[in-house]
Amino acid sequence: MRINRKKFLEMTAAFAGSSVMATHMPWFSIFNHPAPDGKGAADRVRIGVIGVGSRGTALTYNLQELAKTMNLEIAAVCDNYEPHFEKAKEIVPEADAYMDYRKMIESTELDGVVIATPLHEHAQMTIDCLQAGLHVFCEKAMARHLDDVKRMYDTHLEEDKILMIGHQRLFNPIYLDAMDKLEKGGIGPITMLRGWWHRNTDWVFYENTGGRGTELDKRLNWRFYDETSAGMISELGSHHFQVANWVLGETPESVVGHGSINFFDDGREVYDNFALVFRYPNGVHFSYDCITSNKHNGMQVQVLGNDGTMELESNMWFEEFPSDPPSAENLLQQLEDGENETIPIGGATWLPDTPLRLGGKYISPEYEMNDTLLYLEGFVNYIKKGSAPEKLTIEGYNASIWTLLAEEATKTGQMVTAPEKYLL
Amino acid sequence: MFSSPKHKKNAMRRSAFSNRFYAMGTRLHLILPGLDESVGHRLFVQVKREVDRIERKISRFDPQSDLSRLNQIKPGQSAQVDEEFFDILMACKTCWKITEGAFDPALSGKENEPSIEPGMNKVQLFEENRTVLLTDGVQLDLGGFGKGYALEKVSDLFHQRGVKHAFVNFGESSVLAVGAHPAGGNWKIGIRHATEPRKSAFVFGVQDASVSTSGNFFIDDSGKTIQHHHIIDPKTGVTDERPVTMSVSAASPLLAEMLSTAFLVMEEEQIKRVISLYDDLKVVKIDYSAGTDQPEITEYNSNQHNEQGQYEDQSEKVS
Repeated sequence: MRINRKKFLEMTAAFAGSSVMATHMPWFSIFNHPAPDGKGAADRVRIGVIGVGSRGTALTYNLQELAKTMNLEIAAVCDNYEPHFEKAKEIVPEADAYMDYRKMIESTELDGVVIATPLHEHAQMTIDCLQAGLHVFCEKAMARHLDDVKRMYDTHLEEDKILMIGHQRLFNPIYLDAMDKLEKGGIGPITMLRGWWHRNTDWVFYENTGGRGTELDKRLNWRFYDETSAGMISELGSHHFQVANWVLGETPESVVGHGSINFFDDGREVYDNFALVFRYPNGVHFSYDCITSNKHNGMQVQVLGNDGTMELESNMWFEEFPSDPPSAENLLQQLEDGENETIPIGGATWLPDTPLRLGGKYISPEYEMNDTLLYLEGFVNYIKKGSAPEKLTIEGYNASIWTLLAEEATKTGQMVTAPEKYLL
Repeated sequence: MFSSPKHKKNAMRRSAFSNRFYAMGTRLHLILPGLDESVGHRLFVQVKREVDRIERKISRFDPQSDLSRLNQIKPGQSAQVDEEFFDILMACKTCWKITEGAFDPALSGKENEPSIEPGMNKVQLFEENRTVLLTDGVQLDLGGFGKGYALEKVSDLFHQRGVKHAFVNFGESSVLAVGAHPAGGNWKIGIRHATEPRKSAFVFGVQDASVSTSGNFFIDDSGKTIQHHHIIDPKTGVTDERPVTMSVSAASPLLAEMLSTAFLVMEEEQIKRVISLYDDLKVVKIDYSAGTDQPEITEYNSNQHNEQGQYEDQSEKVS
């Protein structure tokens, strides 16, 4: 069964008032109770997009899709790299176009911004926008340095403006269903989490930069440089660190890990592989590894419990102890007693109540829906309402803090805990 | 915070190792008499690994499987497959020929294209370079093949490991008995009576052999009969809905599996012709058309006269 918009709304309505909705994802109620969507120009939500590279372009297309059903306008676009600036004007010809985001927030009247620039630029841009009275949707991770993450969070509180971080799984309906089933004991007590993101790619976004170390490469392939990124830890891992915190409803107590460059030694400064272990309260561990020279394992987050396993990225749920067939007891007893009587056993193929696929069942139906689009729909709705659930911001905050602490663990070889000042 | 873990291991028995897992849409239950937990578990893991491997190869539900990749090939293009998958398709084609088209893993492509007539003749196999060409938009579905093939491989595995006795119940419909029953004699595999599932409508006595059953209903764990109309007569395209089950015992689990599916939609004369090609087949048709209290049972054997009779306690017949 594939779930369309209508069925999705029926599902979220059914979750209304449930404890999983209240504790894990209160934001899903926004789809059943959206802000009034006035049709007039005065009601139109005006968004500016800062950074129209690979991710920023995708977000812009999503916003354009959203504008078909919501009173929403991409009023401004901004990129300080000429080719991206030109492309942005092409994609949204009706928007004001800027190369400097400060000019954009001064000159164009906006309600909110979407920030998709390199990691090290997030903090100042976010803080400037919040202080200018704008709501902010910022791509993950939040910032390159711990103090900046905290400053972004504090500014959002001081200015009383929305700050959402682009961990799109927060708006994935499969995760909503998974959280509900986990909370109801679907796999028993959770005893471990495992996750990985394995790809076989040089991870070069832009080829003609003159190679590693050039100014242009540092600017475009910013994910490779220590000053601008924590590499795969911040650009990939942070998504799954958010998921682990979310599933367990806790933040880690500590993290240890290692990383190295053992294959793509082309002048990049960030690891091409790393392995981490986060320790959570009650002795639950989350082991996570990332590699960019082998794709055999793909991407996954597994939640392991005494009664089963959930694979969140593939929407699969495996039972640890399937029930025995009715014939088993009889047959085993006979073997015990040294007897050989008829075993009534055969018939057409036995099927379980829920269809099986590769030894497991779906956690949730398959969706025709795009979680990034749902996230942006939430953002626009919350702009209209003037505020968003604080938990949404906190999820992003904790993921970013532990992303940078994990990086620190790999660089120092030490077990790292969170300094008091970063605990909310 | 956490409740204490539940202990769900089977009650310790000295006489047999037992465990189960889900695969191919159903449940596989394995009993290894005379083996302790550690040896049994090692074999169990090997069995599970092999069955999972086969499922990943031939599943329609895994887009990465060999089968899915073949089904996704553009019309008119051929694809090279590995040796094992080529042999699988050859076996299917052989069985399709033997059963005069009744066993047919070729489907009519997309659901909205009923105009396409299925048939393994539209699956062309080129042995010299192991390539496959699907013509006329047909697609393959190895649903009536997988469990039998898996048991064939599991049987090989047991023989390689020197396992003396084993009993594998794969979804009730495919049962493999390795060696003799530890208490002596054949394993007595009862085909459950549709409405009295504690009783057997017929009993097969087998060792080093398999029993496979096809039908349009199954019995759930509470003993209830559940309709499951999934077998299509390839000649008519119509779903078979008769209250009939067809069971086949053979040394080869794969042969038993393929024939039980095919025989369900074959005429008696055709069935007899197929049986005459082999020397180890026993085929039993149980027909509840006249009511569930008096199933009509027809038995066909290789190298024997066919027997026909009304429902009675068939356990007497087991030698």
